[in-house]
Amino acid sequence: MSGISRRKLLKTITAGGSALALVRFSEARARAQGRGPEAMPSFTGPGANPYWTSVGPVATYPQKYPLVLLTDRPVQLETPRQYFQSPFTPNGAFYVRWHLDGIPKTVDLAEWRLEITGNVEEPTKLPLSAIVSKMPRISIAAVNQCSGNSRSRMQPRVAGGQWGNGAMGNALWTGVSLRELLDAAKVKPGSVQVQFQGMDRGKGPEGLGSNAFLKSLDLADPVLKECILAYEMNGEPLPMLNGFPLRLIVPGYFATYWVKALTTIRVLDKADENFWMKTGYRVPDTPRGNTTPEEVKAGSVKTVPITRMPVRSFIISPEEDAKIPMGMTVMLRGIAFSGYGGVTRVEVSDDDAKTWAPARLGEDYGPYSFRTWEFSWKPERAGGHVLAVRATDAKGNVQPDGPVWNPGGYLWNRIERQQIMVGAAQ
Amino acid sequence: MKQRMRQKPPAVFFVAAAAFTLGAATLLFAQSDTGDYSQRNLGSLAQPMVHAAEMGPKYSVGSYPLYWPELEPGEGRELVSGYCNACHSPRYIPMQPPLTHDQWAAEVTKMLKTFGIAIPDSDQTTIINYLAAHYSPETRKK
Repeated sequence: MSGISRRKLLKTITAGGSALALVRFSEARARAQGRGPEAMPSFTGPGANPYWTSVGPVATYPQKYPLVLLTDRPVQLETPRQYFQSPFTPNGAFYVRWHLDGIPKTVDLAEWRLEITGNVEEPTKLPLSAIVSKMPRISIAAVNQCSGNSRSRMQPRVAGGQWGNGAMGNALWTGVSLRELLDAAKVKPGSVQVQFQGMDRGKGPEGLGSNAFLKSLDLADPVLKECILAYEMNGEPLPMLNGFPLRLIVPGYFATYWVKALTTIRVLDKADENFWMKTGYRVPDTPRGNTTPEEVKAGSVKTVPITRMPVRSFIISPEEDAKIPMGMTVMLRGIAFSGYGGVTRVEVSDDDAKTWAPARLGEDYGPYSFRTWEFSWKPERAGGHVLAVRATDAKGNVQPDGPVWNPGGYLWNRIERQQIMVGAAQ
Repeated sequence: MKQRMRQKPPAVFFVAAAAFTLGAATLLFAQSDTGDYSQRNLGSLAQPMVHAAEMGPKYSVGSYPLYWPELEPGEGRELVSGYCNACHSPRYIPMQPPLTHDQWAAEVTKMLKTFGIAIPDSDQTTIINYLAAHYSPETRKK
């Protein structure tokens, strides 16, 4: 018994013994009270997903914070709610959505070139260094939102990524003007669209959507003037999963056009008929993209490619598990945005969207950015409250309270609600 | 009256105060809940190893982790894992909401006609039946 005294050993054993007793006691108590940490359910449906994000586990991917896992191959990750407390979403927290499983893992900048090709007089291939150091730098704050953000709210449910609200993010994107690059390459007369392709590849046969992800914009679309090719996201290189080294930024448009790991800009002399334009990412040509399963079945729905993001707003804090003691004032906080110009007004309701009061807007980072809002709320009675938030944009669009349904699960922008409990304070 | 009490509090006051304090403490502990650690395991996912960057023009990240799902046992499970896994992880299946037999059939048709996977007819039927048998609004358990 050298080094350890008998008394100390005895003490240690006694402590171990009582720890063991504590384990038995805790087990017995947990059984008796039926307590345990409840995991999120493994799925939601056939009703709407009632949670803010999707219900998958939290997983860590290279260069990313722990995010909600939708799928692992190709990778789809959703941003948890708390990261929306700031107007700019951290790169590590930014959601991830790839379509094909051949996702870039290594980019060799000695080989990598941005190719401008197709119906142009002067096709070019540019190394990243030429883009970063030889062209004027432009920055824009813009929200990137998946077309299927909030798809899990739709009734009836539709197939696809079952996103909650976290398939969106706002970043300060820095890069070069798309228009300037196109002008330098001299677009030939008679050109119609410009097509974008990144490094991702799928296992499917050539010519099909399962082989390549291709997106196109009309050359006449005014959005082209605002597009940039970004090599920085919030002042840093893009994470590999968010499109390193270069990503197309289409301010105001849904993320389907924001091609990641961009390598090819192809000018077309006729409209793009590839799957991702002709079949995928299309919405009914109706108000809010609404239709019904019956109309779809009857084949009577005319569709158009999805474009701009309708106005939306969110309550970020407090979350459902907060309980407010009566008499306290609590700061409600959130974000709002629109693809149709900036948010001009955000209103809050504490009576399930019956009456509204204006919220105070945060700093304005430009028309395509998240705009934060806050509202100092002093509940006047104890009990459950249904908070709601709605935004109005510069075009006068007021966020509506009706649901959206279409077979792709796109364009959801219904007024958001939040249950909150006010308790007695004595 | 007040002043006299402050000068010489009666003994009964101390007894009452002690009793009250004890009562309040008991009440407080009965109503508060501390140190409640459950014995049940919620589950967790490991962190990927830190990836060290190298010199030169190559930019790379660590491998993307896979999380193979536990598909429900039943006839067709191996066919589903095998064929679906050609292009995407089978995690796409339990990630979906419960879908009807018709909706699953439409998904399989999309993989065949639109995305170009070749699956023999009899296997197609087995796959659709498996998906509807375990992942429909009526049948889905987890």
